[in-house]
Amino acid sequence: MSTSTQTTSEAAAPTRVVVSDLSKRFGSVHAVDRLSFVVEPGQVTGFLGPNGAGKTTTLRMALGLITPDSGSATFGGTPYSALSRPSSQVGAVLETAFHPGRSGRSHLRVYCAAAGISDERADAVLTQVGMTDAAKRKTGGYSLGMRQRLGLATALLGDPQVLILDEPANGLDPEGIQWLRNFMQHLAHDQGRTILVSSHLLAEVQQTVDRIVIIAGGKLVREGTIAELADPARASVHLRSPNAVTLHQALIGAGAQVETTSPGELTVRGMPIAAIGHLAFTSGVELHELRTATTDLEEIYFRLTAGQEEFKGVPNEPSAAVAP
Amino acid sequence: MINLIRAELRKLFSTKLWLWLLLGACVLSGGSAALLIGFADQAAASPESGIPPVESDAFTQLALAAGANAVVFFLILGIIGMTQEYRHRTATPTFLATPKRGQVVLAKLLTYLGISLLFAVVVNAVVIAVALPWLSAKGAPVSLSGENLEVLLSSIGAAALYGLVGVGVGALLRNQVAAVVGALVYLFVAEPILRSVPATAPAYKFLPGGVLESITATVGTTDLLQRWQGALLLAGYGIVLAVLGWVFAVRRDIS
Repeated sequence: MSTSTQTTSEAAAPTRVVVSDLSKRFGSVHAVDRLSFVVEPGQVTGFLGPNGAGKTTTLRMALGLITPDSGSATFGGTPYSALSRPSSQVGAVLETAFHPGRSGRSHLRVYCAAAGISDERADAVLTQVGMTDAAKRKTGGYSLGMRQRLGLATALLGDPQVLILDEPANGLDPEGIQWLRNFMQHLAHDQGRTILVSSHLLAEVQQTVDRIVIIAGGKLVREGTIAELADPARASVHLRSPNAVTLHQALIGAGAQVETTSPGELTVRGMPIAAIGHLAFTSGVELHELRTATTDLEEIYFRLTAGQEEFKGVPNEPSAAVAP
Repeated sequence: MINLIRAELRKLFSTKLWLWLLLGACVLSGGSAALLIGFADQAAASPESGIPPVESDAFTQLALAAGANAVVFFLILGIIGMTQEYRHRTATPTFLATPKRGQVVLAKLLTYLGISLLFAVVVNAVVIAVALPWLSAKGAPVSLSGENLEVLLSSIGAAALYGLVGVGVGALLRNQVAAVVGALVYLFVAEPILRSVPATAPAYKFLPGGVLESITATVGTTDLLQRWQGALLLAGYGIVLAVLGWVFAVRRDIS
């Protein structure tokens, strides 16, 4: 059928998503403020921010559902509204709501018709997300996890090259989250698709994503690979020692930044954990505890969620500079 | 556009709404025809009722026009067809699949015009099934031609156009409850008041309810538009409401 061949040929091209200078105000609130970032094909990109950071507004602007005050988003160079076959180029899960009186399968067949996709795809995506058994039941009786899967199935109908998922792990059980994680990585790493997944929980995406875009207050905070942002060498180290004062001096002398968190306990930055252990050993200082406290990424995110108002953003790493 | 109409048909027939509305329209129309014929002899006994004698052509036409009582079901069908996208938040996948939202509104207008036409044929078949055997049993003239046929066709046309108007109302108001309640209050409260106030009474024949009467009324049609004028005006109402809805409501942010 011509439909499917066309779908395949369009889906074959890796698609880069470019968000540039997006802004949106709701009344006096800057929901999104001159936000720019890039989502590369072949990778899972996490879109992270506290609740109310502007993630959903950004995704809805990118997909033409909300009109931005300024800026644009493009998929392989084309804005969403100008895509020739949007369902076959970009799939998005933004909503876990369905008509409660309609079965999951009927819901999918509506969008097969709307997008000119063959009806067989409805059953294919149901199998793909493991929803075959519930397909003929009305969505009104679905759990949140099942609605997440049906939403994902809807996004997959056109076999799109780009997949955008807004908080897809909400309502999934641990097994479902594991499945979703493998599924996203398979689509990105094995099939070269572009995956953007939003979350407000760092732990949820940290294991899954290759790159991460962190926003807060509608502004970009950090953008980079997990390897850059969660480098253990850049983590802070927590230690406990009866001779903390002696060790404090030695660490300062070796060029580390040291903070006394409580008597006998230190937090050390700017020095690998092995070097700290070695220094304690050579200084003849007894250690009761020595462990990695937080990675750079965790610390950034903790500060974000702990005090969003005071957070003014940290200076961007050279590697995190915004791509044009 | 064919794809979008197919999608709209699937939306409609994958829930039970259409069945209840069609059933309601059939019961109301068949029931009002039955009441009219059943109580015809009592009505004829009091001439001030305005109901013509049973054996007259005018009475047959009045009975055959019973389908026009059900137009409100078609209005509701159109309103819900549009507003359920917002009520159940399916507007998001719908406008993701079709970013050019005007096309969705156009597909809904065409779909609900066509479906209302089809359902109106069913409703009028029920009216015929109730009225014809009963009237012939009472010795009234029975034929489905000439003016009688015109009455039936007018009732079908009015119902179809009301389905179209419903989509327009829904596009403009988006909120399902507000749209249904608003439309009913307008038709059954606001417009009768406008009609009875001398200052606004002359405008009645141009208003949706007055236009409906001009298309479907079989008695007392003075001071109303011609049938074809009424039909054109009603279609105009539907299209103008839909265009206003597209400009002021449907293009708004979906969040």
